[in-house]
Amino acid sequence: MVMFAKRYEDPPEVWGVGRVVVDGGVTPWPAAQADIEDEAESLAPRLAALGLEPGGVVLVVAMLSQAVHAVPLEQAAGRLGALYSSADATPFDAFRVASLVRQLEPQVVVGITGGVLDGLVEAGHDPTDALGPVPAVVTADDDAHRRLRAAGLAPRRSVQLGPTTAIEELDRSGPVYDATRWSVEEVDGELVISNLVPRLTPAHRLRTGVRGRVAGGGRVSVSGSG
Amino acid sequence: MGSTERRYFSPEIETMPRSEIAALREERLLGDLLPWAYQRSALIREAWDAAGITADDVQSMDDFREKVPFIDKDAIRAFRDRHRDPYGGMLCLDPKMTEIFSAIFSTSGTTGDPTPAPYAGRGPSMLVREFWELGSRPGDYFTYCLFTFRGPGIHDTIRGVGATPVFVDHQPADVPQLVRFSRELRPTAWYNLSGPLVLALEQYSARADVDLAEAFSSYRGVTFAGEPIGPRARRLVEDEWGLELFMHTGVGDVGAATECREHDGYHFWEDTCYLESLDPDGAQPVGDGERGELVSTTLLDKIAPLVRYRSDDLVRITHEQCACGRTHGRVWPLGRKGDEVVVAGRSVLPGDLWEAVERVPETSAGLFQVIRTQREVDRLRLRVGYATEGARGVADVRTRVTESVHEAVGIEPEVELVENELLLRQGPPHKIPRVAKH
Repeated sequence: MVMFAKRYEDPPEVWGVGRVVVDGGVTPWPAAQADIEDEAESLAPRLAALGLEPGGVVLVVAMLSQAVHAVPLEQAAGRLGALYSSADATPFDAFRVASLVRQLEPQVVVGITGGVLDGLVEAGHDPTDALGPVPAVVTADDDAHRRLRAAGLAPRRSVQLGPTTAIEELDRSGPVYDATRWSVEEVDGELVISNLVPRLTPAHRLRTGVRGRVAGGGRVSVSGSG
Repeated sequence: MGSTERRYFSPEIETMPRSEIAALREERLLGDLLPWAYQRSALIREAWDAAGITADDVQSMDDFREKVPFIDKDAIRAFRDRHRDPYGGMLCLDPKMTEIFSAIFSTSGTTGDPTPAPYAGRGPSMLVREFWELGSRPGDYFTYCLFTFRGPGIHDTIRGVGATPVFVDHQPADVPQLVRFSRELRPTAWYNLSGPLVLALEQYSARADVDLAEAFSSYRGVTFAGEPIGPRARRLVEDEWGLELFMHTGVGDVGAATECREHDGYHFWEDTCYLESLDPDGAQPVGDGERGELVSTTLLDKIAPLVRYRSDDLVRITHEQCACGRTHGRVWPLGRKGDEVVVAGRSVLPGDLWEAVERVPETSAGLFQVIRTQREVDRLRLRVGYATEGARGVADVRTRVTESVHEAVGIEPEVELVENELLLRQGPPHKIPRVAKH
């Protein structure tokens, strides 16, 4: 349909260098194409559980530096026969969130932060009006979650656990991670993660910086994050 | 010459003889794109019906130039509002065809509501040619410093030259990581630098006592886009930080144009688009190298094809061969037609004011807006950002900016000073609106 340029050669093994928080610090995190695809496969059921259907749209609000977390979510939409759209998780780009929600009517919006809510207000939008029509809104930090709940919405939580993302489903019983691919433990009140399936950059009892506890059934309860 | 040492990524296309470029253009445009667009794009069909032509009436490039009507952003927005169609009548395919489309991206939204753009790309874009020219090679790291709403095309393109993307936010807050990853991974190319990011790097460098020349010493080339770079910022980036800049711009929403190592105009790819340079107030072509309005037509995009799109961009275009050996045309962006003000009969574009504003130390970031209530105005009114009040206060800064601009353009402006942050908040992150209505 559209012509693209030829590749010079097979792309390199490393899909890209993203970042992951380890021990409270930003760590460069090389990921392979296979990692991204496997993570997309893993996250597709989370999006389906939030109500994303074939032909629907999920709006992923994130930063480019969060690519190892955001791109699998985007590709997960394709596995469900859905489309994705993107906006930056910044106050500057909040106007885009409001505009795309209005124009594309997404079934799910993932990644709302307190900064995005600040930006909506600054751009003259009431966050309740801007996000209220979306069937499932997933927040990415405590500030956004608290403010949207106080405004009468029913947001779900997401939390980055090392290289993966745990997302709360419609039952609002805590963010869910893929327990077939990741092992999560609690150490001194902090969630610690290890990979159970191969990854280009292995995570071995990696301290995520997220305070919380493991609730069983692949769920965590989070008491402090991002 | 080894394959990674060759000058061009696609030598057979980049140095194609002009006669072959013309033949390829005719084949793609007349034989494929126009019939498709007329058949499937509601906006194109509406415009052509109003002009009394059909696709059958366009059998030659002369027919194309004489008969095909123009479209512009206002026409797209009017169609959108009239038909409640977010795509403005441009789409030739149903965006819900998920076997074709994977995503819906959006335009920057600098001049209005972001326009959704369905994405069917699964592979590198033509920017592989530019990225190769920057000096990126298989096995290298490549700093990918942008936003999310442009989609995965750049990522695929970086991998298309065999390099590995390193993700960095195009945000002042991410400057420390940009510097860190540059030091640790030693990338050879960087897409993209902008005026606001230069300002953020300058501030970070002073605050953290960082030697950016050392941190950036691995780069062979960096694209700069969003808006023009002022002379002061260019000296800082090139002379002090040691970066070779490759100016990069969009061309009429149908592609991109980028400098080569000759730095003599921005190459656009004539196997992907047809660009005309026309009288800004009419339909007649201007001569090679003369100032005109860029009118663009895609040769490839069959999803939302733009055909004779009046971009509002003022440019110079030449089709003379570049010293680098490439045969495709080159463009020089001059400004936007909608940004021009005429003060007492004299035309002023934001680009005419850049150096004058930068020359005053307190306003050296070059952040300013022209207050444009209408095209023809009695007074040149400027809103200028300042970093500090200086030793003698803002009144003195205002006086020096006024004098500097007066000297540059021969018109004494009325200057309103505001803090830099107030203008930067008007983003998007890589540029600020250079014209304001009030």
